[in-house]
Amino acid sequence: MRLKHLLSALALGTLAIAAHAQNTIKIGAPLALTGSLADEAKKQQVAYAMWRDRVNAAGGINVGGTKMKVELVESDYQSNAQRAQQMAEKMISQDKVDFMTSPFGSGHTKVVAGVAERYGVPVVAPSASSESVFDQGYKYLFGTLAPNGGLVQTMTKLFTQQMPNVKTVAILGREDVFPKSMAVSMQEAAKAAGLTIVHDELYPVGNLDFSASMSKIKAAKPDWIYVTGYDKDLILARKQMADLGVTAPIVTMVTGPAYPEFINNLGKLADNVTSVTWWHQATPYTADDVFGSTKAFHDEYLSRAKAEPDYVGASSAAALVALQKAIEKAGTLDKAKVRDALAALDITTFYGPIKFGANGMNAGRELPVIQVQSGKVVLLYPEAIKQAELKSFN
Amino acid sequence: MSTSAKLPARRGLRPAHFVFLAWALLLAAMPFLADNYFVRLATFVAMYSALALSWNFIGGYTGYPSFATAAFVGLGSYTGAVLQNAGAPMVVAWVCATLFTGLVAALIGAAILRMKGHYFAVGSITLIEVLHQVASLWSSVTGGGEGLNVPILAGGPDFAGRVFLYAMLVTMLLVWAVTLWVDRSKLGFGLRCISQNEDAADMVGIQVNRYKTAAFTLSALFCGTVGAIYASWVSYISPSDAFSVLLTLKVPAMAMLGGLGTVYGPIVGAAAFVLMEETIWAHFLDYNQAILGVVIVLLILFLPGGFLKIDYRRLWRRPLPVRPAASVTAGGEKGDKAEKAAAPLATFAREGRS
Amino acid sequence: METYIQIIANGLMLGALYACIAVGFSLVWGVLNVINMLHGSFIVLGGYLAFFAWAQLGVSPFVMLFVVAAALFLLGFLIQYGAINRVVSKPVLLTLTLTFGLDLILYNFMNVVFEATPRRITLDLGSLGIGEVMLPYDRLLAMLLALAMTGILYWVLRSSRIGRAIVAVRMDRDAAALMGIRVNKVYAITFGISAMMAGACGALMAVVYPITTNTTGLLLGKAFTICVIGGLGSVPGALVGGLALGLIESFAGTWLGAQYAILIGSLLMLTLLMVRPTGLIGKRGYE
Repeated sequence: MRLKHLLSALALGTLAIAAHAQNTIKIGAPLALTGSLADEAKKQQVAYAMWRDRVNAAGGINVGGTKMKVELVESDYQSNAQRAQQMAEKMISQDKVDFMTSPFGSGHTKVVAGVAERYGVPVVAPSASSESVFDQGYKYLFGTLAPNGGLVQTMTKLFTQQMPNVKTVAILGREDVFPKSMAVSMQEAAKAAGLTIVHDELYPVGNLDFSASMSKIKAAKPDWIYVTGYDKDLILARKQMADLGVTAPIVTMVTGPAYPEFINNLGKLADNVTSVTWWHQATPYTADDVFGSTKAFHDEYLSRAKAEPDYVGASSAAALVALQKAIEKAGTLDKAKVRDALAALDITTFYGPIKFGANGMNAGRELPVIQVQSGKVVLLYPEAIKQAELKSFN
Repeated sequence: MSTSAKLPARRGLRPAHFVFLAWALLLAAMPFLADNYFVRLATFVAMYSALALSWNFIGGYTGYPSFATAAFVGLGSYTGAVLQNAGAPMVVAWVCATLFTGLVAALIGAAILRMKGHYFAVGSITLIEVLHQVASLWSSVTGGGEGLNVPILAGGPDFAGRVFLYAMLVTMLLVWAVTLWVDRSKLGFGLRCISQNEDAADMVGIQVNRYKTAAFTLSALFCGTVGAIYASWVSYISPSDAFSVLLTLKVPAMAMLGGLGTVYGPIVGAAAFVLMEETIWAHFLDYNQAILGVVIVLLILFLPGGFLKIDYRRLWRRPLPVRPAASVTAGGEKGDKAEKAAAPLATFAREGRS
Repeated sequence: METYIQIIANGLMLGALYACIAVGFSLVWGVLNVINMLHGSFIVLGGYLAFFAWAQLGVSPFVMLFVVAAALFLLGFLIQYGAINRVVSKPVLLTLTLTFGLDLILYNFMNVVFEATPRRITLDLGSLGIGEVMLPYDRLLAMLLALAMTGILYWVLRSSRIGRAIVAVRMDRDAAALMGIRVNKVYAITFGISAMMAGACGALMAVVYPITTNTTGLLLGKAFTICVIGGLGSVPGALVGGLALGLIESFAGTWLGAQYAILIGSLLMLTLLMVRPTGLIGKRGYE
């Protein structure tokens, strides 16, 4: 035991020296570069690299008067929870990362945050929006997305105001953390808004056919069809709606048009589908962060990724911007102090305002409600910057 | 398969036992030697060793190509998580999950072991899919697609690291002890006979069904333990992670890497596989799966018997002398000549399926 | 009444797609006795080739279908000739693990080259409406393809020289070898035909489904289920199994909900494996 103490004292000594000589800030970035989430991870990777390059080009982050360069420690966790967890441990205990971002999605964020919490390493999650991730009492977990409930309420309010004839809604959700949470939020929002739910169904992960569900929805003749899932599901769902002649005054798909793939893969079929999202390029913000403005972010992302950015890319870059601001404010790399600075943060970025609530989630704000009109995504809300009026789907 | 594998293993102490115990001690000493990442790695080595040893009962000794590992790991992790959330102490939850998984396996085994060969392989994979769907559907108990949270073990990362390492190590040692026992007992002999020729085994009075069910249950029992420990360790499980087809394919690959139907093959294979995967994974961000694929392909093509089936002594002396059996068999590739001559079973199996 | 017709129509059209997925898989299983874990990736590869030919060069997927089929035949032939043939007579565990390893390589390759972003050929052909019942044209085409593939394969196996050789090898490998049939070459051709069918199916599917590497496992899983339901290694079995699974999922999805559709399919498959392992149609498909 004695020997062990001696060893650890020695190790601490070397660490102290290393920390003294440290001139880069290490940020661990677990990415699902292979496996089922690979396309999302690629977006995160692009956004992270954009932030890193801009920060380093400016000399680094100002930590209490000294400029420190940033190093991203990336690793592929193969969309596999077991690996995500292992990687978090490796980044913290071997690569000695100072801070971390979390993987894509609510489930894997939970797994990584569980490890980081034990060590007291601050984690900024760019793409976890389910409250079930943030209600575990973790102190070191922050998320740049607003809670799901806020998204649905904003949208329901807008639609029922503009189309008072909408009385019934059909809900079809994917049995998965985020999409299911969005379906449940819709049930609550619908009841609150006085809508009748005429169809309510969940479909399994890995569903290859929607014809049965769509035929049932067709028979229920709802005024509003609301489907949640990821791009692959929703593209198929929309296609089969067309195949079977299913239609309604309002058709909403979440995430749907928030992803450029939705329009790319549907062409005309994407028209007049509505959605709500956390970020859209049409929401113009100017800020004093490394990007400066929404447009600057959008243009660089487009030239790097050869694709339009969606909320995943923007939120990923915003997570790192938030971290940077917190480090600058804390003036140190001390994890507990940076954590406190994150908790107290109240800034405007290219992505919009960031202010973490008591549970660590970015407080709800004017979330963009969008619709595809003539092949383009237009903003219906917030009122101040809206680009078009809500159009009927049929 | 070489003839030596068909004979019951020698009794008494063997150097291999000492090597294994030294290995287990090294794993156990990991918290005192290196940082928590290595502790986690050691935990994974112990976990996969336990899984590969478990699989060996049905896949190695009995020769039934089972791909049900993930079904039982998932079942164990859900049982453990549900019990822990209901307030059961962690270790009690682990033990109950083990017993429950064993019980379910015994019941299922009695039914699906009627199938053979490809049918059995497909049936065992289907089990995973069925349990996966049940876990997603039964939201009131399992949380459905949202998964289940398990309380985080208090006491900081070092303490948690040790608890789970020792839990997995104990499981590994338990399976190892059972393997030793099976290897020497009438059960092990019977299972090898079934693997050779099930009908013949039946004729000489081996109670084929009971033996097979026993092997299947043993193969599931400790998967349940591993699953339950795993659930407490990650503190969050979801259907697609708990019932992972990748896991179910990896475990037999590990056992094969080491050597099928031997006591130590699965342990060697699991350790080699985990370490290999770790190195590849750390160095090749975009291509880690392809490299793993290449390793598996090379393994199957050039080392189908696994590490422990290489005749190392002969490698030292001179190039392999041609075996007399090989020269009489006509046709076929180099690799399966010996197999054909040694085991009339191969022919039997082909006739049986056409 | 019309709802029932629609449910049946949905089931049959889904089933036809399922049959397309499974025919090639079933052939390899029957003749080579190999469970080909690459099959799902072959379909997705076919889909990608068709997509890029359409997006970059403007080639119609219905033309590209034949090019893709030829390309995949070659790929399948080479994979079988170079790798799988070496262990083809070994136990299922070895062959399955080998194809799993090969699948990891192909999968990773596709992920890097094509990225996992879903891609779909946006040729929307519309639907044939008979009263209230809607029949999408692309799915009708899939039905046609499934029937054509099954029919052609059946005819090839019965009437052509290579077909007779395949059947002979399937019945008794050793005897066929003694009769002077080059077994390894027959295996490679069989595997090539299977990959070809997967490619054709993928090209067609790119019109209906968004193609992404994420679906490889799902498609493989469907192929398993269909083959077991229809009867392992039987060509008409794959057609019957596909249609049966489509109908089952359609009815289960309508009456019980989408979540139960997959569960019911799997349970049915397990039951069939235990009770009637030869599937709905017995194993005598090739003779």
